[in-house]
Amino acid sequence: MSRLRNLGILAAAIAAAAVAGALSSTASADRPLPAAIALHIAAGLLFVVVGLVIWTRTPGNRVGPLAIAIGFATFIDDLRFLPYSAAFTVADYFGPLQYALLAHLAVAFPGGRLRSRWDRRLVEGVYGWVLLSNLFPEVFWASALPAGPHNLLALHRDAHLHTIVGNVHQVLNVLVALLVIGTVWRHWTLASRPSRRAMAPVAWASGPVAVAIAASNSLGLVDPFGNLKAGTEYLTPAALIILPSAVLIGMLRTSLRHSAVGQLVVELRQAPSPARLRDTLAQTLRDPTLQLAYWVPQEGAYIGTDGRPVDLATVGPNVSTTLIERDDQRIAALLHESSLDEDPWLIDAVAAAAGLALDNERLHAELVAQLAEVRASRARIVEATDAARRRLERDLHDGAQQRLVGLALAVQMARDKLGATPEAQVREILDAAADQVVHALAELRELASGIHPAILTEAGLGPALESLAERAPLPVSVTVSVDGAPAPVEAAAYFLVCEALANVSKHANARSVSVCARREDACLVVEIIDDGVGGADASQGTGLRGMADRLAALDGRVSVVSPEGQGTHISARIPCALS
Amino acid sequence: MTTTVLIVDDNRAFRALARMVLEAGGIEVVGEAGDAASGLDAARRLHPQVVLLDVRLPDADGLSIAAQFGDDETRPAVVAISTQDPRSLERRIGQSAVRGFIPKAELSVPRLLAVVGAAP
Repeated sequence: MSRLRNLGILAAAIAAAAVAGALSSTASADRPLPAAIALHIAAGLLFVVVGLVIWTRTPGNRVGPLAIAIGFATFIDDLRFLPYSAAFTVADYFGPLQYALLAHLAVAFPGGRLRSRWDRRLVEGVYGWVLLSNLFPEVFWASALPAGPHNLLALHRDAHLHTIVGNVHQVLNVLVALLVIGTVWRHWTLASRPSRRAMAPVAWASGPVAVAIAASNSLGLVDPFGNLKAGTEYLTPAALIILPSAVLIGMLRTSLRHSAVGQLVVELRQAPSPARLRDTLAQTLRDPTLQLAYWVPQEGAYIGTDGRPVDLATVGPNVSTTLIERDDQRIAALLHESSLDEDPWLIDAVAAAAGLALDNERLHAELVAQLAEVRASRARIVEATDAARRRLERDLHDGAQQRLVGLALAVQMARDKLGATPEAQVREILDAAADQVVHALAELRELASGIHPAILTEAGLGPALESLAERAPLPVSVTVSVDGAPAPVEAAAYFLVCEALANVSKHANARSVSVCARREDACLVVEIIDDGVGGADASQGTGLRGMADRLAALDGRVSVVSPEGQGTHISARIPCALS
Repeated sequence: MTTTVLIVDDNRAFRALARMVLEAGGIEVVGEAGDAASGLDAARRLHPQVVLLDVRLPDADGLSIAAQFGDDETRPAVVAISTQDPRSLERRIGQSAVRGFIPKAELSVPRLLAVVGAAP
């Protein structure tokens, strides 16, 4: 689309240049020198090409279209060589339009936008001046040539009046030019360093152009007989040809800075620390005074990278604030030199890039916080459950178990006291009572041990696993080379082994099992290996699944390898360093 | 000569019943203690021949302090007692300094004498 547009514009420019060239070849002695015309045409073409390059590179910047317009405007001048009075009149009347466009470009450079009211008024004024003021000298002037096309606007031909009005017009032209130069000078003094980098080449090139235009314009004042005219014919086009190159160089220097924004985006991919982000932004904007303030919703305030609140309402002079928001949510604010406002594209791009990074950072932080919260709450649940189990076991041990022990002893004593007396029936009853108590005690013991193995609290993981091994219906070898892991970790390991051994004795048809617990790095590693039938599926059966959940609550992992016919290998890793 | 026994257990009701059981069988209970520290202290003062030591004491693990009873001259026979499953304690008992183990509910004089055996 834009490629087609560019080609169209370029073709039109070349056609216009060719027409202008062809016309100039018919130039007579009184007309401008062919070489000067060639220079003039080249300058026009160059403006169009430069404009296209800039327009393509920075589509949003009006500098490109303006430069193209200047290029075409320079061709208007060459219409005067057509043998038609209408063309001559258009050329003579609209020829100076190129200077208005040049002024527009100079005032809008390098951002392309007219930023202040004064700038807009000035540029409107220049257009108005060029189009209206030209009318007055035209009215009194017919043509440089007695024969051929003449000025259709010449209503009252009067050479004397024409000279007077023309001279006044020239003086006013110089004043308008000075206003433009003054405005650009003011832009320069207020410009940020990056803007100056773009403006510098144009400023340097504008010098000769201004001198050349002034010289050729004021020629009428100092050289009424046209003796110097031939020399100055070269001056304006020669100076004009420098200008598009300077504009291009200036814009390239800006786009170098804009490419720094690309670099910034690349750098922001690795979520930088707040201080590092500030430095990177300051570097990209070439503003060492840049401050970055984060919006902290809990505080309801912007907080600087130094941790102090930043009041955006009371920023210093020459400091501007650019808010970084995403989805209507405040994220941060950039406090930067006011001069950077001149390049809204740059500050917007940097703010957008920073917003992206900060938003990622914010989302990441939120996610991490949520994850940490979930983990902590899971760990708390496991710990609370463990504590409740311990309490319950303790209560059983101190309460019901002790009462039953007492009852057993009492029954025993009563039996002993009976001795060999003949109350055989009473003895039988007591025997039955003693039997009941013994069974009740055994069951209570199992229950208490299932709720929480007292031995784990009292003697640690090694003895607890050994006691499990002893109660197992098949030979279990236990190797424990770890001591003092946190209680929830030991409990998880214990219950894992408990569940695994229960599974082995139920399903595996194994001859022996080996249980191993050791410390690896900051983890407790537990392995249960049997030589049974294999084929165990961790996703089947709630036992192992529950164990995996319990381990996961402690950020632990369990893996079950159980190929058919080759035994089962359960391996668990539980981090010991609990947050 | 009657056998002298020190009962170290944190459950007062059990201590009272154990004393009844033992004394009914002709054993002299010379002292009672509710925790490991006072148990060791009582043993030093009373020189019992047998210490009935609960595996689970509020301030210590009974099996691991068993070796601390007595001195070079007199060393009581320490007998572990517990409500816990003896199978789960077997290995640790084997590794400890106790003479033997009696489940609390099965405490009786013949059982105690059998464990103490040919008393030293």
